[in-house]
Formats: sequence, structure tokens, C-alpha cells
Amino acid sequence: MKKAIGVFLILFFGVGLNSFAQTNSTSGTSTAAIVAAAEKFLGALDDAQRGKLVFDFKDDAQRRRWSNLPTPIFKRTGLRMGDLTKPQRDAALAVLEAALSPQGYAKVLQIIDADEILKNSSGETMFGRDQYFISFLGPPSIAESWMIQFGGHHLGLNITLVGERRTLAPSHTGAQPAIYELEGKTVRPLGRESDRAFALLSSLNEGQRKQAILSFQIRDLVLGPGRDGQTIQPEGIKGSGLSEKQGQMLLDLASEWTGIMPEAVAKAKMDEMKKNIAETWFAWSGPTEKGRAAYFRIQGPTVIIEYAPQRLGGDPTKHIHTIYRDPTNDYGVKWWKGS
Amino acid sequence: MVEGVMTRFLSLPLLFALLAFPSAVFAHRDDQYLQATLVAVEPSAVRLQINLIPGIAVAEQVLAVIDRDGDGLISTSEAAAYAESLKRDLTVRLDRRNLELKLTASEFVEPGELRTGSGIIQMEFSAILGPLAAGAHRLTLENRHLSTISVYLINAARPTSRAVQITKQKRNDNQSAGEIEFTLHPLR
Repeated sequence: MKKAIGVFLILFFGVGLNSFAQTNSTSGTSTAAIVAAAEKFLGALDDAQRGKLVFDFKDDAQRRRWSNLPTPIFKRTGLRMGDLTKPQRDAALAVLEAALSPQGYAKVLQIIDADEILKNSSGETMFGRDQYFISFLGPPSIAESWMIQFGGHHLGLNITLVGERRTLAPSHTGAQPAIYELEGKTVRPLGRESDRAFALLSSLNEGQRKQAILSFQIRDLVLGPGRDGQTIQPEGIKGSGLSEKQGQMLLDLASEWTGIMPEAVAKAKMDEMKKNIAETWFAWSGPTEKGRAAYFRIQGPTVIIEYAPQRLGGDPTKHIHTIYRDPTNDYGVKWWKGS
Repeated sequence: MVEGVMTRFLSLPLLFALLAFPSAVFAHRDDQYLQATLVAVEPSAVRLQINLIPGIAVAEQVLAVIDRDGDGLISTSEAAAYAESLKRDLTVRLDRRNLELKLTASEFVEPGELRTGSGIIQMEFSAILGPLAAGAHRLTLENRHLSTISVYLINAARPTSRAVQITKQKRNDNQSAGEIEFTLHPLR
């Protein structure tokens, strides 16, 4: 009943948008465009704020300072969104908008909206859109290595830029609630990930499912935040055991993470994954009925993706953690280490 | 100038959306003790890297086991005693032979950080395998530590030596016990 009233009111009053800010829609496909947005943001700050925003590129402690946890529990540094003026906040978000694809940026805003809903429904001020932080490692540069970090509860974006080469690895996305109503629409920040995974699972024949489905519970991310440098033995069904169509479905599923980045960056990553598809594994743990809470993992030579519903007393389908890593190039190390 | 951001951020549609969402469950692992073990199999040794993360609701329970004198600090001897108690709760066998674990590294965060639910205790145990014949082997691990409040993860690390090839992994339903089958290849 409460839900029906809520939907009615949203439809009736369907005004305005909830998000942090309305910024111009530019997908930002070049590093120059991202640098321009970052410099505009820097220009909107005072000296003290700039000092808090920019870390040394070699500051590994800051590089690793990201988590799935809410901010008061996990101490973040950089600039807190709730401490910025609206023009400053808009400029910060314009950096993200430039650095991400349109769908990636939308996903990030939906994750933050979910946390705002969580704050207001729980009364816990540790949640909500004020509690997200932005930082740079190194000054924005078209040619030199630098990094953009943006994170808070259920979000840890680590974007490393080395000239035109860019990577999102490692990054964490999550959501609670993972489904909600807003402006008359049902929003599922990580819904396509789940839908595509179930589609792939349902395409498997009995023999393939025996390989893919693990017989034990996986209650959390194995290689989540704080697990830098670890690599596990792959499990499940190997890409060489999938049909061409199933292999494409696996790539389509992975594109929900790689596609957070702009098209050119995502395409380069997907081309790499396609080349390695025979060596890429898909594993599943949990129920197989569509829409139920199940864990899955994609693991290949240059990618690790995990999707883990959280069984913490509530409905696990509404509380999701995911991780995206590149075991060969987290933080873009192969592009800059030793330089 | 910093403005009253909360007021401005909470738009009407979002307020209404709150009506549609039932009361939230707390968004982090608060009543469980996560024990994640990465098992590295090497030609002459096995290493267990264990990350222990108590949730907020069980942190005091875990701290009571660690901080035995209750002075709010984790002393060196208390850390060593806790590592020993964890070791006693672990059973590692290679081809049905019990392996003797030795603590090789440990890192304890401050009790205050553990109470937040984000603190991680890290421990590493190793066991020397001795001369191991080439061929198939089976390593088993059982973790019984604080089982009433714990959730477990056990995973084989991807071997760093080409001499070791993991061929199969099995776990029981809650991953408190696992089995890793591997083949040792002679290196030329």
C-alpha cells in the first residue's frame, strides 16, 4: 500500500530530478576533455581545498584507500561532496561525467541515489550523497600519469590515466537498495548485470551447468576492496567450453563493468577480453531461478569480476556488492611502474 | 560558501521514493565474523593468508577473545595468544598427513578500528612440505574458529610456480572446510 502511494505521488508530482546536479551531457572520450573538466574543478576551489584534493601520484596509501563501507566507518580523504558549494559539486561531477560513459555516469548517480534513499529510510547520516569523496593522485595531465578517485558507500571508482590509456581497475560498485522507485520509474543500478548473468546461465546445457555451478555458498566478494595483488585459481566453466553465442553473452555481461568507461576505452578492454575468451571462466553459486540472489564470477587473464548479493538479514537481492579488477594492470601499473 | 546541502539535495521525487522503500537493513556485515583464507601452494610449502573481519555487532565478542586482560589494548602477548588459538582451530592435511603450521606474519589493528566493522586482522601461517614427490596431491583445510558467528571463504591462490598446477577445489557448503587437489611437476 505504502509503495502504491509512493508510486502515485511520484507520477503525480513527477518534477525535477533527484541527482546531485544537472550537467551537460558529454561522454568525454579523450583525456584532454577529462583534464579540461578537472582543471575547471580545480579552478572552482580555494587553495586549502586544492591541497586536500590533490595527492602525490606515488601515494600508494591513498591509492588503496577505497572501500565498500560507509564513510564514517571507513575513513576517506580528499574532498567530501557535502562540504562543497553547488558550483563546486557540479564541477566535481563534471569530471566524472567526462571520465565515464553516459551509461557509466548514470549508473554511478543511481548508486548514489540508492544511498540517499538508504539514509532517509534508516535515519543513518553515515549514508547519503554528502558522504562521497573525490580526490586526484597527481595533477591532471594529458601526458603524465594521474588518477581520479571517487567513492563512498557502495562505490569505489579508481580511474588511472596515462595519456590516452585509461583503466577503471580496480573499482567497486554496489547498491542498497538495489531496486527502488524514482520519478515513476523502477531503478536497478546493477540490474542489467543480474539479468545478463541469468540469461547466460539459462543458455547453458546440463553438462555446462555442472561445470559452472559451484556447490558451496560464497557469502562475499573474494577479491573485494583491500585484496590488491591477490589472484585466485579460476573455477566454473572455461570459455573454451562455451558456444560462440554463449561467449558473446559472457562478454556482454562483462561489458556492464567495462562499459562504465567511455566507448574507446571500453572497446580496447573488450577486444582484449575477446582475444582471451577461451581462457575466461564463468562461475555461479546460489539459486538458479531468475531474480534470486546468486553470486557469479568472471575470471580471465586480464579481468576479474565478482557479483555478490549480501546475506545480512535483509533481502539479498536488494543489497549487492561487485568488484572489477585487472590482475595484470590494476591502477594501470604496467603503464607507469618503473617510469 | 557551504550551503545546506541536505535540504537542497532531497528533492520531492526522492522523498516520495522513500515511501516506497521499506525500512532499511544496515548496509554492512555487522553480525558476522568474516574469515577469508587464501591458500598458496608452493613446491615446498603451503601458506595460508587469513583476513579476519569482525562485524560491528560481534566485534566486542571477538575482542574479548583477543584482549584478555580487558585493558582496551592488544598487547604483543595477547596477539600471539590469539594467533595460537586460531592456529589450534585450523587443521591442514597434505595427503592425510597433518601439517604443522607456523605463524609467519600477523597484523592487528587497534581495537577501536575493529569496533567500526572495517578493521582487518591479517595472519599468515606456513607449513613446510618437505620433499614432495611429483604427481597428484591433496591438501585439506578445516577452520573451526569461532564457528557460531563466522562466515568463511577458502580459495586457492593462483600458483606462482609453474611446478604447481591446481586441478580441483572442493568446499563444504559454508566453506569452513576445503580441499585442493594439485599436481606437482618436476621443474627441469
